[in-house]
Amino acid sequence: MATQTKAQTATSRDIPFKWSMVIDLDRCTGCEACVVACQAENNVPINLQSAYEQGRVLEWIRLERYWEGEFPNIKARFIPVLCQHCENAPCEPVCPVYATYHNNEGLNVQVYNRCVGTRYCGNNCPYHARSFNYWEPVWPEDLRHQLNPDVTVRSRGVMEKCSMCVQRIRRATRSKTPSQVPDGAFDPACAQACPTSAMTFGNVADPESRVSKLRNDERRFRVFEALGTDPSVVYLKQVDTNGA
Amino acid sequence: MYYRRTLTEAQINQQLLGTVLTTPLWWVIILSCLAIVLAGAVSAVGFMVNQGLGVTGLRQPVFWGFFITNFVFWVGISHAGVMISAILRLSQAEWRRPMVRAAETMTVFSLMASLVMPLIHAGRPWRIFYWVFPYDWARGIWPDVRSPLVWDPIAITTYLISSMLFVYTALIPDMAIIRDRSTGWRKSVYGALSLGWHGNPRQWKLQGIAGILLSALILPVFVSVHSIVSWDFGVSLVPSWHVTVFAPYFVIGAVHSGVSAVVTLMVVMRKLYKLENFIWEEHIDALARLLIVVATAWMFLFWLDLIFALWLKEEQELTVWQLRMFEPPWSWLFLIFFMSSYVIPVPLWMFRRVRRSFTMMLWTSLLVNVGMFLERFIIIVPALMRKGPMTFDFATYRPSPIEITIIGGTIALVASFLLVFSKFFPLIPLWEEKEGQLLIDSVRVGNVDVPALVKEH
Amino acid sequence: MALDEHAIPTFPTHQEVAQDVLERYRVVDQRYWRWVSVLTLLFVAGIVGFILRLNDGFGDEARSNWGYLVATLSFLLSTFLAMPILSAGLRLAKANWRRPFTRINENMAITGLLIYLMLIPALLALPDTEGRLSIWFEFPHWMAFKGANLMVWGTLVLIGLSLLWLVALPDLAAVRDHVPNSRRARVTRFLSLGWTGSLRQWRVLHSGALLFGAFFLLLYPTTQTLMQSDFQAGLLPGIKDAIAPATAIINALQGAVALTLVVMYVMRRFGGYERYFGIDQFWSLSKPLLAFSLLWFYFWWASFITFWYGRQPGESELLKLLILDSYRNPLMISFFLNFIGPLVALVWNPVRKSIWGPTLVASGILVGGLINHIRWYVSAFSVTDPGQHVLSPIPPGQLPTASDALIVVGGISGCILLFMLISKLIPVISIWEVGEGLHLVKVRKFFGRYVVVIAKSH
Repeated sequence: MATQTKAQTATSRDIPFKWSMVIDLDRCTGCEACVVACQAENNVPINLQSAYEQGRVLEWIRLERYWEGEFPNIKARFIPVLCQHCENAPCEPVCPVYATYHNNEGLNVQVYNRCVGTRYCGNNCPYHARSFNYWEPVWPEDLRHQLNPDVTVRSRGVMEKCSMCVQRIRRATRSKTPSQVPDGAFDPACAQACPTSAMTFGNVADPESRVSKLRNDERRFRVFEALGTDPSVVYLKQVDTNGA
Repeated sequence: MYYRRTLTEAQINQQLLGTVLTTPLWWVIILSCLAIVLAGAVSAVGFMVNQGLGVTGLRQPVFWGFFITNFVFWVGISHAGVMISAILRLSQAEWRRPMVRAAETMTVFSLMASLVMPLIHAGRPWRIFYWVFPYDWARGIWPDVRSPLVWDPIAITTYLISSMLFVYTALIPDMAIIRDRSTGWRKSVYGALSLGWHGNPRQWKLQGIAGILLSALILPVFVSVHSIVSWDFGVSLVPSWHVTVFAPYFVIGAVHSGVSAVVTLMVVMRKLYKLENFIWEEHIDALARLLIVVATAWMFLFWLDLIFALWLKEEQELTVWQLRMFEPPWSWLFLIFFMSSYVIPVPLWMFRRVRRSFTMMLWTSLLVNVGMFLERFIIIVPALMRKGPMTFDFATYRPSPIEITIIGGTIALVASFLLVFSKFFPLIPLWEEKEGQLLIDSVRVGNVDVPALVKEH
Repeated sequence: MALDEHAIPTFPTHQEVAQDVLERYRVVDQRYWRWVSVLTLLFVAGIVGFILRLNDGFGDEARSNWGYLVATLSFLLSTFLAMPILSAGLRLAKANWRRPFTRINENMAITGLLIYLMLIPALLALPDTEGRLSIWFEFPHWMAFKGANLMVWGTLVLIGLSLLWLVALPDLAAVRDHVPNSRRARVTRFLSLGWTGSLRQWRVLHSGALLFGAFFLLLYPTTQTLMQSDFQAGLLPGIKDAIAPATAIINALQGAVALTLVVMYVMRRFGGYERYFGIDQFWSLSKPLLAFSLLWFYFWWASFITFWYGRQPGESELLKLLILDSYRNPLMISFFLNFIGPLVALVWNPVRKSIWGPTLVASGILVGGLINHIRWYVSAFSVTDPGQHVLSPIPPGQLPTASDALIVVGGISGCILLFMLISKLIPVISIWEVGEGLHLVKVRKFFGRYVVVIAKSH
């Protein structure tokens, strides 16, 4: 409650929404609960074994696992990679039909209805955050009730990617000003599911929010910073303890 | 050089119109075979549109594969037309005359083939109209002109329309000749198409002006089309694509590829249509010498591309080039491409005997185009396979039978369109041949008669 | 060989041409010596400027002092030393209209001597290859860029001079035989290598001219590639501009055509050479001039759009230096003089088919070219730390000091001076080539008009 009052008094001036995420790699265990939650929330097509064999897995957030070192000192490094919602997104200017653009809340949005599937955005994304529907997604009869009614079910030929659960954002912020949406009032599915709270989501335009504070941590880095894409997702480096 | 006056006007008329007025058996057979291939390709396209792009070999992160390679390849071949008819006309090279129409027509058809590719490679081809048509269909949104994929259709359509205009204006005198030799519906159709041509001085003057104007105006289009296609790659962030030299590199590569295709076309035409009186060794000799210059310029730009790709020592660029040059099977493809595009043909073309041999020129020109197709493939796919440092996402790409069928279909498309065209219009311009003969003269130097030309000014 | 469409075209005979050229060779105008003195003074002033700059040495701190010298070097390479390309290329293309001015192009090869001398301080001003971008990767710098540059440029100059000497042999022999009893005749006797004009000698001459020409055509892009990558790209942090050497070559072709036009005009106006440099020459050269001006824009745009669209940090800084901020004004001037001006002027037939039109455009192109080269090289030399990953801070535009201005003027004057001096020795109109051309033309009636018929020999 104290936090809420603070937010209310501090924001009588108009702050925008600027969604951002901080992912603490020190807390990430590689459990992939975020991947499952995202699939469930966003009607991501089901990836059967054939999808993996063909290399056409549809994942809005994926966990990349790298091995480091030689036996017996091998370490596994995990990094959940999702759409970075770059301020300077390379995927945006190359779409011929404006199916992807930057909205005024700092999100890179994908408009499925406009997408004709030229896949140039996928080529230009350095994070490989975009997936393409090569086949018509098949939803078995009994799983159709699991589909989230707030999220479009995409057909084949359309690009898709993480939207920071824009449907949850809309639900939480409908008819509200930024000062009326307290920090932590809602989370995207991935952040909500994460057992170690490695993923923090919030409005970075609010200086009191958790993401604003975490962003300035000394362990901070952004993926492929040198490319100048200005991602909104900030990662916190894993800390190695000796012998761990 | 090509300065022998051997044929009367009547002979020219009779030999070049022979293909229009009669239908040889080989024409029917070849067209039927091509029609079968085309039918296969069309059904492949239908299958793909019905099932989804999953039937191709495309996968994460190789979003573009054979279709885009083929698209760039056909745009490349289309550069033959302007090179032969426009540039050689403006520089008054006499040896262009038998080739101009065939080259321009091949340009038109290869542009049509190339336009098919971006249509079918999209995920939802039935929505493509939103893409290219400059009209806001709904919600007040126009196509995004920041995207190179919008520049592409603008450029290619402009080139297509100007090339069609070019072919048409050059056809008018010949269509008038056919009109005068036919009866019935043919007479009325050719009559309408030839716009009342009667060959009086005023009309010839207009024809000359039209030819020069079109040649001059089509030159900027010619340079910009393949440059715009190259910027599909150049403005992206993909390592080894983000290269400034792509524009002239692609254009010169296209001229290389296109002029080689013209050589192939000339040799095949000469054999099939029995055009020995019109297509001589001098022609392919001149084409081969042009090719040497073009190919060497292309090789220079290739080296610039390679040296400056490596010079920043960026890890991803090095990874991509290492894949291209040293990791099989890509290294084999690279070797074949390099040998076929330059190392084998160009030294061979240095020899007069090779340049004047129709068989050798046929094989070397085919080899060049095999190499150039591979060149496009090597530019596009390995770069996507090693796009980022995330080795977790490294993948490989293999074209599927559907893609190969469709590629074969585009070759059949261009070939069959050319065959059908030759049924209705002569492939060698009658009036250009006759004009060329008028301009022949000779100058006595010492006790030798040197062949000469009346200077066109 | 002026071509006037309203009258029956007439041509002089080979004898008349030979007599005329040798007469001009023998009698030297007072104005010539006046110009030589002026140019010598300017050249000496350039040397003074160079010595003033030498005071500060070649260290890292003094590197920005040498920007203007390197810019001049590059400009001279791209205009004066590019002239033999026209001679070699047009000879390969068998263009008949090149014959009157082809010796001008070949004589310019002598400027290679001065240009080669200017290369040496330029090389000394370059820092070591260690820690910065270079096409030599990790090769030790003495072997690599210094050695290779000296070798390649030297070979280029040598081939240019060899081409000049070979192609001038018949004319040197003509001087030796018909202008006796002078100091120059003694030198030409030595230089003409006993030329007698036998069939075998002519065959060797023709093959040699094509061969040397082809070598020059192959070596020139190599030299420009080295110039661009060592002196410009190698000093700009994070630049990856593969098209830059090709841009430099196209600009050089534009510069060579422009300089040919200007020299022809000057010789017409002040030397009385109207009968040689007529409308045919100016009109025929105006077409490649227009083409190269369009290509100037095309090559510049190809580089710009790739950098600008990608919005990568390293490239954005370089754009700010070269195009958007520091050197924006030179770029605008050069853009106008090298592209917009030529385009707007040369699309019109009356402008192309005139003497003044192409000359005016060509003068603008030369000025714009100098400014463009200043933009490329002064900016590169003003970067304090070439070993950075991303350029920071962005150096501002560097205006020339007095010594810089002297160096620029001196370099250009030196080249013109060398051209004038060599033209005293080797006739500036190629008697045998013009004569050969005259043998290959005749006039006849063609559908009621008089036209020129040109033989195309193998």
